[in-house]
Amino acid sequence: MAGTARMKQPGDLRVIRLPCTGRVNPLLILKAFMEGADGVLVSGCHPGDCHYNVGNYHARRRLELLQRMLPAFGIDPGRFHYTWVSASEGSRWAGVVSDFTRRIEALGKIGAEVPANALAKAEQTAMTDATGKTTS
Amino acid sequence: MSELVSTIQKVLAETGLVLGWSATGAGGVAAPERFHTAEEAEVAIFDSTCVHNLSVHLPRLKGRAVGIVAKACDARSIVELIAEREVDGDQVRVIEVSCTDTLDVKAIWRRYGYGALIEDDGSELRVNGEPVEREAFVQAKCLDCEDRQPATPAGKPVPSGSKPANARQQLREDFQAMSVGERRAFWREQYARCIRCHACREACPMCYCRDVCIMQTTDPHWTGGGINTAEAEMMQLIRVNHLAGRCTACGECERACPVGIPLMLLMEEQNRAIEEMFDYRAGVDPEAKPPLLTFDIKGDSWDGE
Ligand code: SF4
Ligand code: SF4
Ligand code: SF4
Repeated sequence: MAGTARMKQPGDLRVIRLPCTGRVNPLLILKAFMEGADGVLVSGCHPGDCHYNVGNYHARRRLELLQRMLPAFGIDPGRFHYTWVSASEGSRWAGVVSDFTRRIEALGKIGAEVPANALAKAEQTAMTDATGKTTS
Repeated sequence: MSELVSTIQKVLAETGLVLGWSATGAGGVAAPERFHTAEEAEVAIFDSTCVHNLSVHLPRLKGRAVGIVAKACDARSIVELIAEREVDGDQVRVIEVSCTDTLDVKAIWRRYGYGALIEDDGSELRVNGEPVEREAFVQAKCLDCEDRQPATPAGKPVPSGSKPANARQQLREDFQAMSVGERRAFWREQYARCIRCHACREACPMCYCRDVCIMQTTDPHWTGGGINTAEAEMMQLIRVNHLAGRCTACGECERACPVGIPLMLLMEEQNRAIEEMFDYRAGVDPEAKPPLLTFDIKGDSWDGE
């Protein structure tokens, strides 16, 4: 819809089509981050509107959990977004993707948030843990 | 003869097999044991070095009657295994032991040398004959455990605002205080030490996929067997994801890790998120519906729906 209406889409966006958000294994998203994706957006049909009846009900639980877990993995939660856009909402889609790409551009390359001195600090923590010394 | 031994012998008469412990590990600490006869069971013990969660063996014993000695935390794994139909509740006889806490044996040996003599009468802990501070060497999970039977009737309240005596608890606090970028650096540093032994997976009672585990499939190729930071990181992401809503926080993954990667930081974080989202804890109710295998049409209205 967005395409046939010739709406503008960001050029650095890669669309991966899947039959249903119910197919979105959270590991696909994590794998994308591990392979260097700077941001991942999941967009599906509105809950209640699923062609397979319940795919997106399952999906929203998994995706929300992933969203909450990203900070623990060390991935900025702003790099991930999930939303519901139906096939007929072309202009909404265009808005969602351009907002998201702007956000990712502001965050920069994945790993940009890792402070240069953090590796050295982490090393020290690891050492403390490995020797079992109390860090008092 | 101890009460435990006679209970095991009674169960043995019905099942012909009981999983328990004997004091045959290095330095006299507990080692897991399979008892088949009353005579074999005479060496059964339970003490603070009985750290292992023996329920990890149950899925492979499915179909036969079995007795198992279990701490409260191990019992949660059994409940979860029954909920997931990996264990037949009718076939398992649980011999639940009450415990004060269990020890971080590796931490003691890192400090005092491998095989150092550990003596524990339930309140005073001695290593090589010298009394040592107990709280420093108790497994972190025990310090939070609701089923812990206090060693002293009143317990020992930790003054608020004071630093935890336990290094593992301290690490938990440090991790919470890190920025998201610092955490990525922290994990990469940790994973750099991973030797891909898969002990974290093997020790986990809920990781029972065995030969069909996606960590070793080549198509799709989620992660290879390479010993490097990137593959180790992906491996842990898989583990965390596959344990969502199923991890009972038994702590075995981290305890089994030979290089001391604090894997429980991630499991705890996920368990907390699941409790917040679904008011659910794994291993409590064998009839409960796992939160990620079900959904709620009206509720769960995340992202503005
Ligand atoms: S977590 Fe609780 S039940 Fe398990 S070993 Fe520790 S004190 Fe015992
Ligand atoms: S992931 Fe770790 S804490 Fe959770 S059930 Fe498995 S071994 Fe226990
Ligand atoms: S137990 Fe530790 S070293 Fe072994 S594979 Fe797991 S994380 Fe890596």
